Amino acid sequence: MFASFTQIKNSITHLRIGDWLVIAISSVLVVYLFQHLWSHEHAAKVQIRVGDKVHATYDLNLARHVQVTGALGEAVIHIAHGKARFAKSPCHNQYCVHQGWLNHSGQAAICLPNQISLELIGEKKPYDTLNY
Amino acid sequence: MRKWLTRLLLIALLALGLFTLRSFQQAPLHHSQSYVFGTLVDISIVGETDERAAVLSNHILRDFQQLHQQLHAWKTDKQGKPSELGKLNSAFAQGNAPINLSLQLANMLEDAQALSSQSQGLFNPAIGHLISHWGFHKDEFAAIEIDEAKIASLVKDKPSMADIVIKNHTAYSNNPQVKLDLGGYAKGYALDMAAHYLRQQQVNNALINIGGNIIAIGKNGDKPWRVGIQHPRNPSAIATLDLDDGWAIGTSGDYQRYFMRNSKRYCHIIDPRNGYPVQHTQAVTVLIPPHNKAGVLSDVASKPIFIAAPADKPQAAAKLGITHFMVIDAESNVVITQAMAKKLNWSDANFEKNHHVRVIHTD
Repeated sequence: MFASFTQIKNSITHLRIGDWLVIAISSVLVVYLFQHLWSHEHAAKVQIRVGDKVHATYDLNLARHVQVTGALGEAVIHIAHGKARFAKSPCHNQYCVHQGWLNHSGQAAICLPNQISLELIGEKKPYDTLNY
Repeated sequence: MRKWLTRLLLIALLALGLFTLRSFQQAPLHHSQSYVFGTLVDISIVGETDERAAVLSNHILRDFQQLHQQLHAWKTDKQGKPSELGKLNSAFAQGNAPINLSLQLANMLEDAQALSSQSQGLFNPAIGHLISHWGFHKDEFAAIEIDEAKIASLVKDKPSMADIVIKNHTAYSNNPQVKLDLGGYAKGYALDMAAHYLRQQQVNNALINIGGNIIAIGKNGDKPWRVGIQHPRNPSAIATLDLDDGWAIGTSGDYQRYFMRNSKRYCHIIDPRNGYPVQHTQAVTVLIPPHNKAGVLSDVASKPIFIAAPADKPQAAAKLGITHFMVIDAESNVVITQAMAKKLNWSDANFEKNHHVRVIHTD
């Protein structure tokens, strides 16, 4: 069933140029594909900031409702299935709630009146900051 | 031959190892966020110790707070006293007796006068009464009843930066209807101030973002600072670009401060010629090359381009010497200068295929 150590050793010494070439090229390919295709797009975590402090960081795949108290009052943030959103906010214009679900790394929703921000964090940041 | 291939494999493994190592050796990034100027201030500093970066960031934030209090268009301080700008506005309203002002405010006003005249009055910080009438001089503004007669009379008063006379640290206005609102200038001024301070402190790598207006110093490690440009209607970036050392970027949008009335959008950017919020444009982004007032220009220059009618936008940009700009119109079509298009990477698949994008030449 299992190849003995000598058998493995034998098969390695009997590898031909083509075999080595396949091993070499495929290793380089694996490294290359890992670098380029490892999903940066979908975010893994959401960072909630209140004022100038990081309030908490949550895994996006664990569904939960988070209550956070900002400058105006209590906001509710929903997290589920790799997404996050402001569900309730005490602010007047409700821009933050209207932003809806965020699901890509780098996306952010900011409630200026209540001074709460959500930022999605992934493997890699698509940009360092946002111009708006 | 086999030896040669083994070596090849070894080299590949070594390269992988080096790559992994490098990703752990990124220079430390200190990131701080705060709320000033009624918006979010975001400071990133690279290559300094956490302690020093925190001290520098706090210094900048204190300067911003002070500037905000000095220039607030409608709030009084904790003792109920108006801001320096508020006092100036009351004096302007009461007649043309000169009142004292700080050298800093005098310099700002002279600069704003020059920019206003250069933009042929489309950048007009003297229309505070109009902005206030539309309800935007409140933290929590709401839809207003539109009073056509009142708006017409506020336009007819022709408040202009040219009405203000600044001499020997004093100022007065020849038009009592002038009410200054530096909302389209102060954030840019603050960017230049902070960038100047950081360079003085020998900080070589930093990124400052005040409510979406950004200035870059140096790089982020071995890469340039990368900025995402907000889509005016979706919560995602429409494109990204690298902001090199000394460059600044600013956007005027109809999605930052606005209210809806009868399913029409009324944004905070008001055309001084007719007194109404602009409705033909969703966003204008300008990119400013290194310059000692790059921050100010990134804040100011997007306004005249935003306000000008679609056909007049290139001329409005040219008057302020702007070569890199992008316009997103009311139908979400993009007009972009070739110089700007070269710097931009679309994140949005439609735009990447150049659907709804028109490239114009400015030279």
